[in-house]
Formats: sequence, structure tokens, C-alpha cells
Amino acid sequence: MRAIPNLAARVKRIAVSHETILLFIVMAEWLYFNSVGRHFGSLDNTFDIVRQTVEIGLLALVMTPIILTGGIDLSLGSLLGLCAIAFGKLWRDAGLGIPSAIACTLAIGALAGGLNSMLITMLRLPPLIVTLGTYSLFRGLAEAITRGTDTFTNFPASFLFLGQERWHGMPAQFPIFLLVTIVVWLLVHRTTFGRCFRAIGFSPEGTRYAGIPVNRRLALAYVMAGTVAALAAITYTARLGQARADAGTGYELFAITAVVLGGTSIFGGIGSVHGTLLGVTAIAVLSNGLVHARQPREAAGVLTGLLLIAALTLSVLLKKVVDIRSSRQTVVEH
Amino acid sequence: MKGHLRELSPAFALAALLLLLAAFAPGFYQLHPLLSLFTREAPTLVMVCGMSLIIICRQIDISVGSQFAICSVCAGLLAAMHWPLALVLVASVVLGAVMGSINGLLVAVLQLPCIVVTLATMVTWRQGLNWLRQGEFVNLPDNAQWFGLGQVAGQCALISAALILLALMAFAARHLAAGRYIYAVGSDAEAARLAGIRPKRVTFATFALMGALTGLAAMMNLVQSPQVDPKSGTGLELKVIAAVVVGGVAISGGRGTLWGPFLGLLLLVAIGPALTQLHVEAYWEKALQGAIILLAVVAEGLRNRKEKVY
Amino acid sequence: MNRLFAVLLLAGMTFVAGCGKPSDAPAAGSAKKLTIALMPKSKGNAYFISCKQGAEAAAKELGVDLLFDGPTDPDPAKQNEIIENWVTLGVDGIAAACENKEGISTALRKARQKGIKVITYDSDADTDAREFFVNQATPEGIGYGLMDEAARLIDEQGEFAVITASLTAANMNEWRKYIEARLAEKYPKMKLVTVRPCDDLKDKAQSETTAVLSAYPNVKLIMAICSPGVPGAAEAVKQAGKAGTVKVMGLGLPSENRRYVKDGVTQSVILWKTTDLGYLTVQAATALVKGDLKPGATSFKAGRLGDFEVKGDVILLGKPFIFNKDNIDQFDF
Repeated sequence: MRAIPNLAARVKRIAVSHETILLFIVMAEWLYFNSVGRHFGSLDNTFDIVRQTVEIGLLALVMTPIILTGGIDLSLGSLLGLCAIAFGKLWRDAGLGIPSAIACTLAIGALAGGLNSMLITMLRLPPLIVTLGTYSLFRGLAEAITRGTDTFTNFPASFLFLGQERWHGMPAQFPIFLLVTIVVWLLVHRTTFGRCFRAIGFSPEGTRYAGIPVNRRLALAYVMAGTVAALAAITYTARLGQARADAGTGYELFAITAVVLGGTSIFGGIGSVHGTLLGVTAIAVLSNGLVHARQPREAAGVLTGLLLIAALTLSVLLKKVVDIRSSRQTVVEH
Repeated sequence: MKGHLRELSPAFALAALLLLLAAFAPGFYQLHPLLSLFTREAPTLVMVCGMSLIIICRQIDISVGSQFAICSVCAGLLAAMHWPLALVLVASVVLGAVMGSINGLLVAVLQLPCIVVTLATMVTWRQGLNWLRQGEFVNLPDNAQWFGLGQVAGQCALISAALILLALMAFAARHLAAGRYIYAVGSDAEAARLAGIRPKRVTFATFALMGALTGLAAMMNLVQSPQVDPKSGTGLELKVIAAVVVGGVAISGGRGTLWGPFLGLLLLVAIGPALTQLHVEAYWEKALQGAIILLAVVAEGLRNRKEKVY
Repeated sequence: MNRLFAVLLLAGMTFVAGCGKPSDAPAAGSAKKLTIALMPKSKGNAYFISCKQGAEAAAKELGVDLLFDGPTDPDPAKQNEIIENWVTLGVDGIAAACENKEGISTALRKARQKGIKVITYDSDADTDAREFFVNQATPEGIGYGLMDEAARLIDEQGEFAVITASLTAANMNEWRKYIEARLAEKYPKMKLVTVRPCDDLKDKAQSETTAVLSAYPNVKLIMAICSPGVPGAAEAVKQAGKAGTVKVMGLGLPSENRRYVKDGVTQSVILWKTTDLGYLTVQAATALVKGDLKPGATSFKAGRLGDFEVKGDVILLGKPFIFNKDNIDQFDF
């Protein structure tokens, strides 16, 4: 019985140290680009970074609980595209007002998330494969609805304000992002739902035996993800001024990268929402900073990949060091 | 037959599709276009063999598309420098094996999660290649096409090579110890270790093998046209993984054969030409592919409800 | 506690950094080297690579810094991000090929507000978002040109198919609109049987063309409107043994199609002198920044290329050029 508090302490130590490393990485990036780029550290640029990262940030935030449960959702980017098209179609062809179109789109996102969770929980299918299928299906539906070519534009200025203008000095999408961040953070870190997510990640069967309705908790995670993906579709459309079938292509990979970079284990059970935020920040700052450092776009991709491997390797090595230290302690204790 | 229940679903689906085509679009069954189709997809079959083993080993590798592109471009550059093709082939396979080994090292030795590692290597290699190549094609010398054999002979050679490789690997997976080790490690790595198998080595070898097969596939693709497109291989990993999954290989590892994925690949690559034959618009293709993958997965899930051990 | 500290630290850092750097327009020093930022629709595209070559030549001649950046795949959202980054970076002039007209116009208008000179090339934005548009050919000109050439090749009657990049590619959809309009208006005896996407991949174009050839046995011509599609389609036609019977044409680069044109598999490749387009664009952008080119001008002298006609706010490069067996050797891009 002595081993369990030890395990908890060990786990806690690792979780904290991974995020601290990431924080140092973000600071290092910031300082470097500040020195190299003439306008990098300015408020304008910071707002640029924020505005451009909102959609990926939203997906990463909501991917965190899913990965905590040991699952994954590859279909979020495609769902973003499908919701964007649905929004456009509801507004233009079905004649709905913007607020009702938004409400319906969020509902569609929730339903799609529900589809994922139903296949995963009722049929006990691996999330990777289910969402691989819905990744193609959602994108395919978006393309089929628009015949590939149709796009929706000419949205009213009041709607475009959301994506393109400043509200009380900060980018208009920022309050939305902040709200979702707070909600997800509270959900994961301060409610029993969050603890359920981690428990499911550690051991789904054990959690089930402990009396927790695993299927309902998983449904919550995936439905929330679908709804937020729909929300991201709205802000994307507002930012671009256009709803397209290929919106959000590749975003899920970015989101997964940010989540894993932030210290969440892909196997589930360990992780944090603020880690994900740091991960998103690290990638966004890197990408933006490289532009200011006059490096080509591809450098961002290469460096992000290397950063991911480096961060993971570091984390594993640290864990080994901590393990060795703790096992020595255990030996002494016993 | 009992041991092959998993392969029944893709077999039925494929049979259904073929019957549909026979009834409504018999134009599908012309020799030359089918030969072209099989030749085009022979490299993909080679990669499907490798990916089946990876998934049986309870891993996954989403970087194979980027590996394919790098091997293609490097092989193309070597061929353009007038290296003998046999040497270019060896170089491509070796390069692929090296890239696969990097994945293997990170996954097996450092024990990093495979999906994250291969995600990182996928992005790094693809963007690195874009950076260097900037989309420029590689022009090949004339004698490179079809290994100099001429079109029909070349097509037959490539198709036979892929099928022979499939048969050999299916045999090896079932009857050679090395093959059984992969199943063992995929089923339960700890139990395998206790039984005397070295899971780390098996995992590493599987990734390296996948890389080598990717290099081979790249070469097989290279000889089919006089230019190399550095964007080739985009979306390839998805196609290959989908074929394996539709073919009844369990993502949880330890189960499945190579024949199922073969049928799965046939099914998935037939959809595009089938739609064209049926004069259906192109924008339905992705939705259909997604639906097929989901159906295959659901079928697997229904099968599992009986034997489920989570 | 640890986490709270971290979050506060990050916020504090941002605030401090933000206070430290005023984000206004670049300093008005005339001795400073000018920076012109050039954006392609996507980077890994040989068409824009050749534009870049011309652009670099012009930058060298004029002594300006050339920033060449764009999304790696055509992605309108990323184009906007890059423009916004450039605005913050404080470049002097921006020349962009626009993937998405509406979206990018907002970003370009913001750039103009900050005093940066904006022109577009290859594909236009909204007219109030830029000062000039360097046009090599209108979508109408391209669409009509393609359709007319196709008609010429098959004597204005028969079936043909189109290979496009992806069904969502905005510029190709525009061209298709004009192709279909021209078809309906002038060539009643011709029929467009299908449009297949190749995702900008040569190999996929090859498979799609093979499928089309077998599904539509009466097809007489393949029109590939994305540049990797032309060699892909040509190879498919050649392997099907139909070289010469089924004509191949499209929009592409001479270098990628040379061997097919010479072998008679591809009959015509339509393009324009992309290196000249890049050269002219950078010349125009620099002149605009320096004040040598003003709205209302009717002609513009672009370095070694000579004079170009300026119609309103459009600088015309010229008409699409048709590369075929007779002239393709003269070009090396």
C-alpha cells in the first residue's frame, strides 16, 4: 500500500515538470524571436497570433478530455468543414437568421460528436478507427453538399465583426476562446467529470466496476468536442468571410500535436488543459516567429515535428530519472 | 474457413461491388484499364503488407506517405544521375529502411507512443521535402521507365512482384517464427517477453521493414512514369491504413491476416473507377469511402460484441 | 500554485513585451532597403516557383529585399495569416496572388490602412483592397482560351473531359465556369462528359484519366486545367495506347510537358511567361512604393521588359501563350 502514494507523487511530479519545461520553451521562443524580429513582441502581433490560433486552440482544448480518456478524435477538422458548410447553407438557402443558423450548426456538431461516441461506446470500437472513418465521411458530406465548388459568402458585417474586428481592444473571437478555455479547464480539473476522464484513461474496465457510467462520460467528451468544432467553424467563417468545404483541413493533427506537446499522454490518464494551452502557444509562437525571422513556412512544420519528438523524449528521460530515484527511495524505505 | 471469418466482410463487399459493376457498368471489365489500375496500385499493395504487420504488432505508422515521397524523390535524383536502376532500387529500399528505423528507435527503444512519433516524423519529412524541392518535378531518363522492359511486360512484372511479395509475407507471417513473434507482441507484449521474445526488437524490426517496403513501393511507382512528383504519397497513409482496417485486421493487435487487407485494398481502389464507370459525380467519392470504412468497422464491432475482452 | 504562477508569468511577459514595442508603421528612412513581400497561392507549385525566379531577378536589379512566402497548400486562411504577419513585420509593399477573394481583401485593406502599398497578381482581390492588379489573363480569357483551343483540336465536335485539381479550388472553378459558358455559347456539337479531381497530384491525374478513358470510350480530348494534371493525363493516354486519337491539352509548364509535346501525346500547353509575370509584379510593386507608379497612369515601364499597358488599375502582361511542338524548346521554365 505504500507504493500508491508514491505513484501519485511520482505522477504529479512528472506532470508538473513537463509543463514547466514547455513553459521554458515558450519563453525561450518568445525571447529569441523578440530579439530577431523587429515587430514580434508588439501587441498587434500578439493579437494576430491570438486571432489566427483560435480555431486550432478550440479544437486542441476540446481534444484534451478525449485524449485523457485514452481516445482520439481525428474527425474534428472535417467536422469543422461540414459545420461551416451547414452554417452557410442554413443561412443562405434555408433563409435562417444568423443566430438561428449558429444554434442549428452547434446542434449539428453535437450530433456528429454523438455519432462518434455512439460507435465507440455501444460497439466498443477503437476511437482511432471510428474517427478515421468519420474523418472521411464528414469531409465527404461537406464536399457532396456543395458539389465541391459551392461556397457561401456575403455574410452581414455584424457577423464578420466576430472574426475580423477588435472588441474593446482585443480580437473579437478572444472572449469566446476564453470562455471555452475556462469551461473546459473547470470541467477537467475541478469536477468529477474530469476525474472520470482520467480514470477511464487509466482503466476503462476498472472505472466501470467502480460504478461510473463510462459510456455517458465518453459521450460527454465527444459531444462537447463536436459542439466546439462547430463553434470553431463559425469563427473560421467569420474570419475568412467565406464558408468552404475544405475548411479546417489538417487542423486535427495540429490539435493533437498541441495536446501531446502539452504533456497529455496519448494513452490517457495524465494531462492537463493548461498544458494544452501551452502547447498551442508554443506552436503558434513558433510559426509566427519564424515569419518575423524571415524563414520559410516549411521551417515551422519541420521544427514543430522536431519539437514534439524532443519534448516527448525529454519527458520520457525525466520519467526514467524520477523512476530510478523513487525506486532507490523505495528500496531504502523497505 | 473458420480462421478466416474476418476476411468475409471485405470479401462480401467486394463481391457486391463487382456484381453491381457487372450489371450496371460492364465497361469496367476491360483488360487494359484494369491492368493499368492494378499496376498503379501494386506499390500500394506492397505498403499494405507492411502496414498490416505494423497494426498486427499493435502499432501504427502514419508517416509512410512522407517516407514514400522522400524515397521517390531521392531515387528519381539518383536515376537522373544515370545510376544503374538496380542500384537505385537498393538505395531506395535502404533509405526507406533508415527512415523506418528512426521511427522504430523512437517507438521501441525510447517507448514513445507510435501515433505521436509517426505524426511528428510525417510532418517533419513532408515539410522538409517541400522546403528542399519546392514542388519541382524530377525528370527521369528515358530508359528508367518500366525498367526498360516496355509497357506490358513492365506492368505484368510489377503486378506479379506485388502478388508474390504478398504471398511470401502472408506465408511468413503465419509459418515463420519471426511472423509469429509479431502476432505475439501485438497480442500481449508482456506475455511475449516472458515467453522469451524480445518485444523491442520485434517492434523495431517491424517499423524498419515497413520503411524498406515503402522504399520498394516508391521505386515501383517511379518506373511507371517519366517524372517524379514530390507531392506524391499525399494521403497514402490514410489509404493504406483504411485498407488494413477494412481488411479485418484488429487495431488492438494480434489478429488478422494479410489477405484481408488485400481484399480491403481492392475494394477501396475500385470505388473511384467504379464511380466513374457508373457516371456518378466525383464529389461522392470521399463520403463513400468514409461510409465503407465505417461499415467495415461496425461489422468488426458487431463481431466483437460476442468475443469482447476489453 | 505552480500552475497559477506559470499562467501569471506568461501573461505578465506578454504585457511587458507588448508595452515595449510600439506597433506603428515602418520608419520613413529613405536610406533603408525596401522590402517587397510576394505571396504565391501555394508554395510547392512550379508555376509560382517560376514567377519567383522573375521576381528575384527584378529585386536584384532594383536593389530591394524580396520576401517570398505562402501557404504550403492552397489555404485561404493561411494566406490571411501571412498577410497579417507581414503587416506587423512592417514590409513596404505586398503583392499577393489571391486564393480567396473576399477573405484576403479584408487583410489587404488593413495593410493599406497601415500605409503599405498593395498590388495583386495572377488572381485578383476586391478592387478597393489593392491599388493595381497585374493581370496575365482574366479567368474569362483563360477559360475561353482553353475552350477555343480544345474546340480547334477536335474540330468543334465530340466528347471531352476535364481534369481539375480539387473540386474546391477557387480559381479552377472560375475557369470551369467560363469554359462551360463558352461551350454552351459557341460549341453545341461538343459535350463535357465529366470533371474529375486529381488533388494536384500527377499520379492521381494519371489514374483518373485511365478511368475516364475506359468509362467514356467516345472521349476525344482530355483538358487538364491544373499543371500536374497535364503530364499525368498524357501518360495515361500514352499507356492506354491512345496517343494521337485522344488529344491532351491544358494549363501547364513547358518543362513538365516537353517530352509529351514532342512525342505528339500532348498537343497544346497553354500558359503565359510566368517569369515575366513575377518580374513585372515586383517592378510594379517597387515603383508603387517609391511613388513612380501612380493611379491614373496609362502605361508603365518595367525595367528590361519595356512598356506595359495600364487599363484603369489593371496592368496587362499580355495574352495566354500556346506552347506546342513548334515552339516549346525556346522556353526553359
